[in-house]
Amino acid sequence: MPRIGVYICHCGENIAGAVNIEAVREYAGTLPGVAVAKDYLFMCSDPGQELIRQDIKDGLVDRVVVAACTPRTHEPIFRKAVEDGGLNKYLFEMANIRDQDSWAHWNEKDGATEKAKRLIASAVAKAGLLEPLQDRFVEVTKSALVIGAGVSGMFAALDLANMGYKVHLVEKEPSVGGNMAKLDKTFPTNDCSACILTPVMVQVGTHPNIELLTYAEVASVEGSIGNFKVDVVKKQTYIDWDKCTGCGDCVNACPAKAPNEFNEGMDNRKAVYIQFPQAVPKKAVLDLDHCINCGKRSIGTQPRTHSVTGEPILAPCEKACKTGACDRSVAYDPAGERVTLQVGTIIAAAGFKAMDKAPFKEYSPQSPNVITSMQLERILSATGPTEGEFKRPSDGKKPATVAFISCVGSRDKSHHSYCSKVCCMYMLKEARLIKEKYPATNVYLFYIDVRTAGKDFEEYYNYCRDLGIKVIRGRAGAVDELAGDRLRVRAYDVDMCAPVELESDLVVLATAIEPAPGLPEMGRKLGINCGGEGFLKELHTKLYPVETSVKGIYVAGCAQGPKDIPESVSQARAASSSAAVPLTLGKVVVEPFSSAVDREKCSGCGICVPLCPYSAISREEVDGKLRARIDEALCAGCGVCAAACPSLAITLHGFTEAQIQAQINALTIGAGGGKVV
Amino acid sequence: MSNAIAEPQVIDLSLGELDLVDEIKELGGEELLECIQCAKCAAVCPMALAGFPFFNKRVIQAILIGSRETLLDDSSIWACQSCNRCTEICPRQVRPFEIILAMRRVAVREFALPTLTTDGLKSLFDVGHAVYLKEAGKSRKKVGLPEKPPSTLAHPQALRELQAIMRKTALAELGIIPMGEAEVAGSCEV
Amino acid sequence: MKVGFFVGCNTAFNRPDLEQAVRFALPALGVELDDLEGQSCCPTWGTLPSIDLVGWCALGARNFALAEEKGLDMVTVCGSCYGSLAESKHKMLHDPELKAGVNAMLKEIGREFKGTSNIRQAVNFLYKEAGPEKIGAALRYRLDGLTVAVQPGCHSLWPSEVYVDPEEDSFHPAVLREMCAALGASAPYYSRLTDCCGMGGMRSTDMERSFKLVLTKLASIKEEIDPDLIVTGCSSCLIQLDTAQAFLQKDRLIDYEIPVLHYMQLLALCLGADPQQITGLAKTNVSRVVNRIRGDENE
Repeated sequence: MPRIGVYICHCGENIAGAVNIEAVREYAGTLPGVAVAKDYLFMCSDPGQELIRQDIKDGLVDRVVVAACTPRTHEPIFRKAVEDGGLNKYLFEMANIRDQDSWAHWNEKDGATEKAKRLIASAVAKAGLLEPLQDRFVEVTKSALVIGAGVSGMFAALDLANMGYKVHLVEKEPSVGGNMAKLDKTFPTNDCSACILTPVMVQVGTHPNIELLTYAEVASVEGSIGNFKVDVVKKQTYIDWDKCTGCGDCVNACPAKAPNEFNEGMDNRKAVYIQFPQAVPKKAVLDLDHCINCGKRSIGTQPRTHSVTGEPILAPCEKACKTGACDRSVAYDPAGERVTLQVGTIIAAAGFKAMDKAPFKEYSPQSPNVITSMQLERILSATGPTEGEFKRPSDGKKPATVAFISCVGSRDKSHHSYCSKVCCMYMLKEARLIKEKYPATNVYLFYIDVRTAGKDFEEYYNYCRDLGIKVIRGRAGAVDELAGDRLRVRAYDVDMCAPVELESDLVVLATAIEPAPGLPEMGRKLGINCGGEGFLKELHTKLYPVETSVKGIYVAGCAQGPKDIPESVSQARAASSSAAVPLTLGKVVVEPFSSAVDREKCSGCGICVPLCPYSAISREEVDGKLRARIDEALCAGCGVCAAACPSLAITLHGFTEAQIQAQINALTIGAGGGKVV
Repeated sequence: MSNAIAEPQVIDLSLGELDLVDEIKELGGEELLECIQCAKCAAVCPMALAGFPFFNKRVIQAILIGSRETLLDDSSIWACQSCNRCTEICPRQVRPFEIILAMRRVAVREFALPTLTTDGLKSLFDVGHAVYLKEAGKSRKKVGLPEKPPSTLAHPQALRELQAIMRKTALAELGIIPMGEAEVAGSCEV
Repeated sequence: MKVGFFVGCNTAFNRPDLEQAVRFALPALGVELDDLEGQSCCPTWGTLPSIDLVGWCALGARNFALAEEKGLDMVTVCGSCYGSLAESKHKMLHDPELKAGVNAMLKEIGREFKGTSNIRQAVNFLYKEAGPEKIGAALRYRLDGLTVAVQPGCHSLWPSEVYVDPEEDSFHPAVLREMCAALGASAPYYSRLTDCCGMGGMRSTDMERSFKLVLTKLASIKEEIDPDLIVTGCSSCLIQLDTAQAFLQKDRLIDYEIPVLHYMQLLALCLGADPQQITGLAKTNVSRVVNRIRGDENE
């Protein structure tokens, strides 16, 4: 007969405020197998843990149940206490009577108490059937994958590479740099974005430990911490990057135009293009969707031969290329080239997208002079469509009056209910850049409220006001088009208590930061949850901000939520140091919750083989009969095979059939007979 | 400039009737608490533009602080055009127009409604039209139409149907208008 | 095609010439009208909608029931009727409890609201069902050379989710402009096109303040496009813009007058209706522009 100790935590008021601890403790003492039932203000505190350790040492208990908070954060603490007391640490079970009980049923105290009794009864029922288990260790592949080469991804990759680990850096665009590469200057110090980012890009491009995989996307992820197998698809460039020198001759020769994504659609690039002047790697890409086939020869075909000279007739891009990198006879391969990577840990830093202006019809997005902030960044940038000249799109004239509208798509239930966090500051920054360069420009910022929480941010705001930038509190409600490509902004000034109008030459919409397209799909591939707003979810907002629900996978930058550059870099460097821990240890502990096959019962039917998401099951011949075999190193303990086995031949250690049945019985047969919420 | 602050006076927040919020939610303003006072609605509200002291944003704030008397003492809520531009653009999906309708419902329950509204309701009950001009028969004839439109005005049974419905509404409980079958109102132009 | 003509109050009593225009123009384009005998006020915003949600919907539902019993959609030229009926229907269809409450009331008068008929605004209805091309081909007179300022009216725009014929972009409405172009007129954009006219609850509460909105609107119209005519899609906008100008002139706030017609009046005129019957009650002087359209004038 097991001797089970039950320890009930008050969690200060968190549990005791809703659950009658005394009643629950008394009840626990009556459960079969329970030798000791105690309660304490904070079981996780040292004196709390000491209760457990002492009872074990005194021989009073040989199984432990703690009824407290969530195993997500506290199970390791109590397992350690059990181990220190001298028991196998898996002879421990936790009942979550806080998150799943007291917090959820705060206003129904009787019901919450009854529920606590049942949850404890269930944990006790399982505890009686627990068996000692041994931790497993898995060797770690000493390399990492970083997804996304914006400022976050680049810093995460550089840190890991500098620690001596091999890093594969995957980026979907032809160049590294991300959104930051598009910015003109950056708050709060107004450094030129290119000046601070370009050296980082070059470092990333030349670091011996970093393998760049640009113009590529993650196709699938298998395995678990220490040993992930990642398939990456390299999109076809139709230019041999080993030969391409980035000279741009093919670009100059190309007659076909396409909207330039890097300049936010405000000018055109060629069908053959280099993403931007400081691109890393500086290589050309042929965008087949916009190629007009000017050489009258579709991709993947051999050139015709000149009837007189006998020379091959090349397309202009091919002809211009001095190194033979541009070769249209390369076979068309829409699937792209597949590369398989083996990595120990993964950092997801897939970035964000700034919203487009089109959905905001009340602001006349059909006007070329209504632009997004990201478009203004390109206008202000020396590498942008106006080469840094402050010109409005409709006619290239310098705007005399500019209006900014905040929270466009943010704090908005039709789009994104969250605050995008960076807009207040980037509006101020853009306004300041304009005002400093062209002091005669009238600049008005229409805000709901000005949020400048951050180091040196309020000082920045005050400086902007000193420059004569006008801040109007009141979200603009309409932008009307006027003659001469001008615009009328209409708002209600809450400080003047009056409607206001402003005739303006340019209207800038501070559009929301939203998850990059495809982010939820990437989350699914990685097995990470996305929050309601579509950003990747961290494990714990405060304590584990870069970890995710999948061990060995970490998040950084705007893929996790809107943030500015200082914060993105901080988070990226935190993620890299967390991701380095398993690489440094060289092996990781894997909980012993793996499945095992009873070969006597196994019929060799093979149903389990394709069901296993980790490809851990195979069949082998034993005494002339096929039997399932589970590779412990690959098994993640999900239990799918155990549930599916028609012969009940598979046992998932830690969650055996008998244990789970006992838990269900305890829950359904009932405790004190009272009402359960 | 608006005269919304023409007579500044100190509002004692501790005197706010905070149950006004629940009343508004009960009477059709369910989304009231979503409002963050961003003022987008006020930017295009005809009432704000015409200079009425209260309009969508300000009505909502007055409700939130429980300033019931302020709203009842002022006729602004009855000047709402129901244009619904606020409903269309509100980033919080508050449906500000519905809040104003709900505030009117509160006002009606305190018998704080303009005479014209009472007249309109009476006319609606008497002839089935809130807007009704007794002399209209002449102009109708002038343009070649029958004196009465094919409505409740020309169909007594239909009018009785409408009156049966109106007697079942909150209007009857409130007793704002006489609901006998006696006389027919004169002209009414709401 | 047959529809129920939902006349409403303002059209029936204030501007029966507009009613007559509808009775001329729709049949002339092959749309048969049913009188929906026994119809009532929609009811308008300042009445039951301001008292009691269920009562509002019940009166609206009774009007819908008249059309449903005949299997017809309803067509109106009044923005308030359009808005009040469309909103009440939207509410009933999205709130089963409300619909049940309304039907409990209707049961006592032997009627039921099912939600099978739509309320439609005449201009948007014609735009969808006849189309500018067919209308253009049916005209006896055209507006070639005329510039008009359009005033679609708030209720044909917002809230866009409740209407069956919404504008593609309710902040830049195109339907009325295209429909005027179909008659041959030039109907340019002006910057206060979607501004409210001030009719309705505001005019009843404070006429002077409501005229401020007219003044702002007229200034934009006059300065930006200086039209021969203002064309509305709503009977309330018609009444407001038609009657306010005399007051504004008297107060010396404007020194001009722009004639105002509802689109259905203009359409009836182009289809050959008797001008007196379909425009005879206008307060602004529409005769000059009417004569010009009919070619009755020696210019």
